[in-house]
Order: sequence, then structure tokens, then C-alpha cells
Amino acid sequence: MQIQSTRFGAIDIADDAVIEFADGIIGLPGKRYALVAQQEGSSFYWLHSIDDPSVALPVTQPWLFFPSYDVAVSDEDSAKLGLDAPEQADVFCVVRAAPELEDFTVNLRGPIVVHASRRLGRQVINAAGDYDVRQPLFAHVELSQAAPANSTTPIAASGV
Amino acid sequence: MLVITRRSGEQVVLGDDITITVLEISGSTVRLGIDAPTEVPVYRHEIWLAVKAENQAAANAGVTSLPSRISK
Repeated sequence: MQIQSTRFGAIDIADDAVIEFADGIIGLPGKRYALVAQQEGSSFYWLHSIDDPSVALPVTQPWLFFPSYDVAVSDEDSAKLGLDAPEQADVFCVVRAAPELEDFTVNLRGPIVVHASRRLGRQVINAAGDYDVRQPLFAHVELSQAAPANSTTPIAASGV
Repeated sequence: MLVITRRSGEQVVLGDDITITVLEISGSTVRLGIDAPTEVPVYRHEIWLAVKAENQAAANAGVTSLPSRISK
């Protein structure tokens, strides 16, 4: 299918790249999203709504920036996602972007967990610790250290 | 808003299939047990509000170009 993103124009989304969020994403419309990469090898993706072309969230993989980050997914959340083992899951955290890099923050408290092969997604409340919803993204990493994201969840489009 | 008084061990039923039990009252803290269908998300209110605010701020940040590989 093709969506007309208000940010990026027309984007082709393969059917098998669509992630279903049965309970939506807290505070945002729609239940179908897809990962879009703005550039090959970027440390960030956009989690783009299929249903509302104006909605897209910047996300990153937390371990690129916080190597000791822990995630605990409750039994209820695991059941809803059909997760049997940690390696089935991809974890993304929502990034609040800003004009200046030092003002970027990331939500480590409410990560988005995706069952990569079933392409079911859910924003969960991380039970692993008292993480911040607005953690400065570049406080704990040398700016040159962040690696490219490497999702096992299908990427709907890149180079948009 | 409905205001009702419950004692430890007593319950409140919402609709047909949600039951909230007052498990323990200790000082200013109340421990609740919530029995709800799996399709009903249950969150602590302040966390739900914070996550909602971050999601909406992230979606509305007005930034359309994210850094690629981060380097100085």
C-alpha cells in the first residue's frame, strides 16, 4: 500500500512491514504503524502511522545509547504480543527530537515492544526499573559511538 | 464522579467483568488488586499521563530530519 505522509510524501509500505498495535499507542490515533528509515544506516527510525498520515514518532533502539538498559515485560504484555522468548522481541524507545542534539530525550520508561515475526506491537511500562520518560539521549554516550539501528522487524521504507 | 467507601478486602465491580479489590490499607497507601479482561489496559495514572505526554510531544516535535550516524 502507499501512504501520503505529511512529512515525507508518498511512502510505499509492504503489507508484511505493517505492525499492529491492538491497543494503539498511548495518546495517539490508529492501530497500524510501520518502521520507516530516513537514511540507510541511521540510528533512528520513524514509527509511522498507516491510518493517520500526519502521525509519526521518532524511535531508536535503546541499547545503541544505553548498553546496560534493562527491559522487563509483564506476563500480561508478553501474552498480548505472543512473546515466548526475549529474542523474538525488538525494543524501541520513543525519541523527543529537538533542534539541538543535547536537547534530545528518550522515553526509557515506556518502551515499544514488537514481536518481530508476528509484527505485533505494544507500548509497555517497563517493570525493570525506575527509568525516566525523558532521559537525555546523548548524556551517556560519546556522540560518535552510536551504531546504526539493526531491526529484525521489517523496515517499510528507507531513504524517504 | 462516584465516591464510595470500601474497607480492606472489599471490592468494586465495573461493568460485567472488571473487579477491583482493596487488598491492604497501610497509612496513606492502598494496595489494589485489579481483575480485568486482557483487552483492558491498566496503568498507573501518573505513568500513563507521562507516557502520553511524551508520545504526543515526540509526534509533534516539528522535526522532520533526524541525525543519521551520530558524529561530531
